Amino acid sequence: MDPITFSIIRHRLFRVVDEAVITLKHVSGSAITNEGHDLMVSLYRADGALLMGGVGFLHHLTSAAEACKAIIRKFQGKINEGDIVLRNGPSTAALHTSDIYLVAPIHHQGRLVAWSACFVHVFDIGAMNPGGFAPDAQDIFTEGFSSPGIKLVDRGELREDVWSTLLNMVRGPEMVALDLRSMIACNNVARERMLALIDKYGPQTVDEACRTLIEQSESRLRQRLRELPDGSWQSRQYLEVKGETYKVILTMKKQGDSLVFDFTGSSPQSKYSVNCSKWASLGGLFAPLFPLLCYDIVWNEGVIKPVRMIAPEGSIVNCARPAPVSVATVGAIQSVNNAACTTIGKMLAASDKYREESTAVWHANHFAIFMFGTNQRGGLSIGILTETFAGAGGARHFGDGVDIGGEIPNPISRMANVETIEATFPIRYLFRRRLQDSGGAGKHRGGAGGEMAIVAHDAPDGGIHYVVSGKGTKFPQSEGLAGGYPGAVNDYVWVHAPKDARLFDQSLQAMPGEKQPVTWGVYPLMGSDALYVRWNGGGGIGDPLAREPEKVLADVIQGTVSEHAAAELYGVVIRNGALDTAQTDAKRKALRDARAREALPA
Amino acid sequence: MTEKRYLVATDVGGTCTDTIVFAAGEPVHLGKALSTPPDFADGVLDSIRVAAESMKTTVPSLLARTSLFIHGSTVVDNTILTREGSRAGLVTTEGFEDTLMITRGAYGRWGGLTEDRVKHPVRTERAAPLVDRDCVVGVAERVDYKGAVIRELDEEQVKKGLRFLVDEKKVEAIAVSLLWSFYHADHERRVKDILARIAPQVYCTVSSDIAPTPGEYERTSTTAINAYAGRITADYLKSLEHLLAGSGYKGPVMVMQGYGGLLPAREAAERSIGMLECGPVAGVIGSAALGAVLDQPNVIATDMGGTTFKVSVIQDGKIEYAREPMVDRFHYTQPKIEVVSIGAGGGSIISLEPGRKAPRVGPRSAGARPGPVCYGLGGTEPTLTDVFMLIGYMDPKIFLAGAMTLDREGARRAFEEKIAQPLGMSVEDAAMGVFRVAAAQITDLIHEITVERGLDPRDFVLHAFGGSCGMLASVFGAELSVKSIVVPYTASVNCAFGLVSADIVHAYSTTMVLPADTTAEKINALYAPMIEKAKKQLAEEGFTGNKVRLEWSIDLRYSRQVHEVTTPVRAKTPLDQAGVQQLISDFEALYERKYGKGSAYREAGVEMTLFRLTARGLLERPELQAAKMGGADASRAKAGKRMAFVEARNAMAEVDVYDFERLAPGNVIPGPAVIHTPITTVVLQAGQKGTVDGYRNVLIDLR
Repeated sequence: MDPITFSIIRHRLFRVVDEAVITLKHVSGSAITNEGHDLMVSLYRADGALLMGGVGFLHHLTSAAEACKAIIRKFQGKINEGDIVLRNGPSTAALHTSDIYLVAPIHHQGRLVAWSACFVHVFDIGAMNPGGFAPDAQDIFTEGFSSPGIKLVDRGELREDVWSTLLNMVRGPEMVALDLRSMIACNNVARERMLALIDKYGPQTVDEACRTLIEQSESRLRQRLRELPDGSWQSRQYLEVKGETYKVILTMKKQGDSLVFDFTGSSPQSKYSVNCSKWASLGGLFAPLFPLLCYDIVWNEGVIKPVRMIAPEGSIVNCARPAPVSVATVGAIQSVNNAACTTIGKMLAASDKYREESTAVWHANHFAIFMFGTNQRGGLSIGILTETFAGAGGARHFGDGVDIGGEIPNPISRMANVETIEATFPIRYLFRRRLQDSGGAGKHRGGAGGEMAIVAHDAPDGGIHYVVSGKGTKFPQSEGLAGGYPGAVNDYVWVHAPKDARLFDQSLQAMPGEKQPVTWGVYPLMGSDALYVRWNGGGGIGDPLAREPEKVLADVIQGTVSEHAAAELYGVVIRNGALDTAQTDAKRKALRDARAREALPA
Repeated sequence: MTEKRYLVATDVGGTCTDTIVFAAGEPVHLGKALSTPPDFADGVLDSIRVAAESMKTTVPSLLARTSLFIHGSTVVDNTILTREGSRAGLVTTEGFEDTLMITRGAYGRWGGLTEDRVKHPVRTERAAPLVDRDCVVGVAERVDYKGAVIRELDEEQVKKGLRFLVDEKKVEAIAVSLLWSFYHADHERRVKDILARIAPQVYCTVSSDIAPTPGEYERTSTTAINAYAGRITADYLKSLEHLLAGSGYKGPVMVMQGYGGLLPAREAAERSIGMLECGPVAGVIGSAALGAVLDQPNVIATDMGGTTFKVSVIQDGKIEYAREPMVDRFHYTQPKIEVVSIGAGGGSIISLEPGRKAPRVGPRSAGARPGPVCYGLGGTEPTLTDVFMLIGYMDPKIFLAGAMTLDREGARRAFEEKIAQPLGMSVEDAAMGVFRVAAAQITDLIHEITVERGLDPRDFVLHAFGGSCGMLASVFGAELSVKSIVVPYTASVNCAFGLVSADIVHAYSTTMVLPADTTAEKINALYAPMIEKAKKQLAEEGFTGNKVRLEWSIDLRYSRQVHEVTTPVRAKTPLDQAGVQQLISDFEALYERKYGKGSAYREAGVEMTLFRLTARGLLERPELQAAKMGGADASRAKAGKRMAFVEARNAMAEVDVYDFERLAPGNVIPGPAVIHTPITTVVLQAGQKGTVDGYRNVLIDLR
């Protein structure tokens, strides 16, 4: 087709998505949507194929495509102009119940021509624990409202019966109502703008441009795959919940111009809500694949075609109903993200042309703590600690990972200011900073994670409660590459401080009282007690003994690496703030010799 | 004794330094010269000299007859971009020393990047902070969310920390930013006092002075920027004053601020942060002033120069502030007029996307050097300017009033080889296509910006400033269905024109969260100290009585929602209870207009969060005189015919070419037509009609 018109239509399709995202954020006004960017808006073809994926939580791009397709099957012949269908059932498309999809057909002169879909993590979904993550859930029935598809808007009319029923089942119904209204407005804007585009250029031209876009993406990804070496790469992720350990095993095979992600060997599904469904796993492997392999390719169905997934039924990555899944997005899905990032990173590292695109795992483990309780103004506050979005970057082949740099599957998240959080919740921070020695050691260091401590402050009830679904305290999950070390693990500690103590301590060690690790469930933050959280660093790349000593010194001066770790992991000896070159050479030789001894049994 | 009648304004931009000279009853005089970084002052004098020469006078003679000199400059932006500021330290609350290094998580890694780059996270970095981590000192102290001290400031520790920064780290400037200081500034002041005792030579900025607003990352970043650029800014303004004094000028020097008003140089020297992007902001002020003259309260102001395309929106004569302004990759918090820009200008390089046969405009730019291929200065990659020439919009012979001849054949060869051939198109078809792509991208940008504010472009007039805008505006303006288009006479010195349209403005604010049912007395009590301060400051500058205007505005939000809306107080001040009621209902209407129907969550109640006072000292300035309108016949200005792109036909066609210098007020030009001015070109598309008004602006009627 005419390259000029094609170029203009493509640009305009991007803007359709952008404007819909703006509308979503405007109407919602919630912190998780506006700060965490925990949202997604995309356009789909009439048959549900992904046409244009926006920048948001990328797990959802393929899942919402499946949601469109499932709705087409379910409502065959009964999809009308102006309908908006709500869908959050995890066994068919959604990731967990609190991520609600609103999917809307777009009709042009009576003919179905496209779909728009969006999601936000709603304020509450009526699960047994507030906020959506339900560590106490034993099955899907205890994880709140769940629908495989219900019309929320019928031919342009909001269905009052559905609306009131839904809001009757959730905590903070007025906030959930805002979330839903924001998604309705978002779909409306996407439809208006899409129709304006079709009116200007004609349905055939737009249809052809859309088809071409998908063909181009497919041929460009296949071309890239052909440039990469054939082979098979593996990753093994450990995920532990309350002392039980699960594995996500991935073998990625690349042959010619296609990729197969095979999860054979992964653990059977868990009794805990860290499981995920098949569609969630597919979304989970695409979330890193889009930005790592398709950074200059439009994210659509064409990218999906060369990729196949094998996920054994009944496993943690393809669980059977009614297994609980509410923690999936920070559970098995995140392990799938990590494993896919590693296998793709290894493949890229094996190519001269693409080596610099490879990265060790970023932010492998969200700590996802939801706080809830009566705030200092007497109202109800429920909300996620947005530090969970502030992960650490993995090391790159050309340099270190970004300290507290976010994550790959959600490229534009951010965390709230301490002052914003202290004004919203009855809590006070003792500190929030980068965590020393958390970035995986390597020739290129993984980005540092963080640590923070909070106490209750001015709480009418004497404090609040929090939901923690904390995995990853035992095994590091941010894998390194090419000899680089993994990033540090997460930790969650309940500090039982003496009565009437007022803590200002600057480290966990300095805090008085018993320190109780907590990982899973609902806990109080009351009286003078503190909650200490530390979160993982990114993976390193290459041998730490190959890191330039000057860079290690700079890290020590910055405080991101301790002198002890400099000596023991990097073999770099620092005295009085300066490099000791002779000692460093000796230390590095000693460490190399020790490795050789370990490798060769006597 | 010579009569002091002139108003002289000089704007130092990245490429050019522009001057405008105003006086009652005289035509406006313009001067343009190249900027001369890092010593920008030379360019200032060059530019004034060009204007003086056009008046047949000299710089000393002009300046001796000048009553007011107004200045805008890119010096602070430049200091940040080139990292040439002072070695700076930071004092902050113990436990939060990393605030500048962690930038609210990934925000500092992706903030300020285009979507293309955001989608490629492996290649993104956080900018190195302006303060090194080992120059950050945490001190024991703590204020809580309501401003209560819950831990006293440890002064001994402060002394030790400051000595460490000054003696061991050799810092030249110190930023002080403590948690919740906008509610309780005492701890920050005490740190400043201690520093003044132990090291008075060190430049000091405290956050409660420079940015008394919530959000420690943005506030600390603002304070750090101000400390980092403070000394250079002060030195720059001092040397400018000396230079002007040495050239015969004896009046005050006023400096443009990003919030859209002027400050005396002495005060501006303390607030380097205020000068960020002040040139483009002045352009918006100029557009608003022109809108006021032409009775156009709703304006979309666009400016296309060599590297960027800039847009601002003026609604009911008011200009909106940016919510999250940035300089380079750093966030800051200051009232700053919103100017959105994309990398699309005359120098933007045209390329084909790899693997796709789709042309792309920018974001890379050939800049002024080597510049477009047709400049013949060594540029080899085709740019948008080359495309303008290939589609007949520029005359190779009379570019910049004949100062430069353009290499049409070179441009054609480069474009054919790099773009047209790979696309399998003729040079003309491909060039017309690229032009349409550029126009469509601008249409999309403006659409998004207006949608973001809940506005409809059809209610607006489009102003087209800058060297390249007049060629594109008739196409994207038509697609946006704006009411009409104005290509101003001062289009090429837009920012300097804005400078002479601005007033002295002081902006004050107080942060306090109050419910909607707050009494008027309580609000008035918050304003009383700000008003006292404002009146005193303006009196010192010579403004009293009816030369002083105080404007109140208050930021409001729905509880539990994040969006705040700055709502002007329309009732008489100090407020009474009815005035508070009106404020609330104005807010509700504004919120719904901006964020859409059904976006308000009224049940949660309304809160006030920030109380702003804008204090204006009204400057006397000569009125622009409109010339008398003559007849419609423009045939006297016809300068021939040329083949040029006509959008409606999607083809090249023969169009009339006009010489702007020979057009008179009242002349009407039917489109399609090309009008050459000494500096730029205005293109009228088929069916459009251009009219020269009494100020020599070209008004384009689209219908």
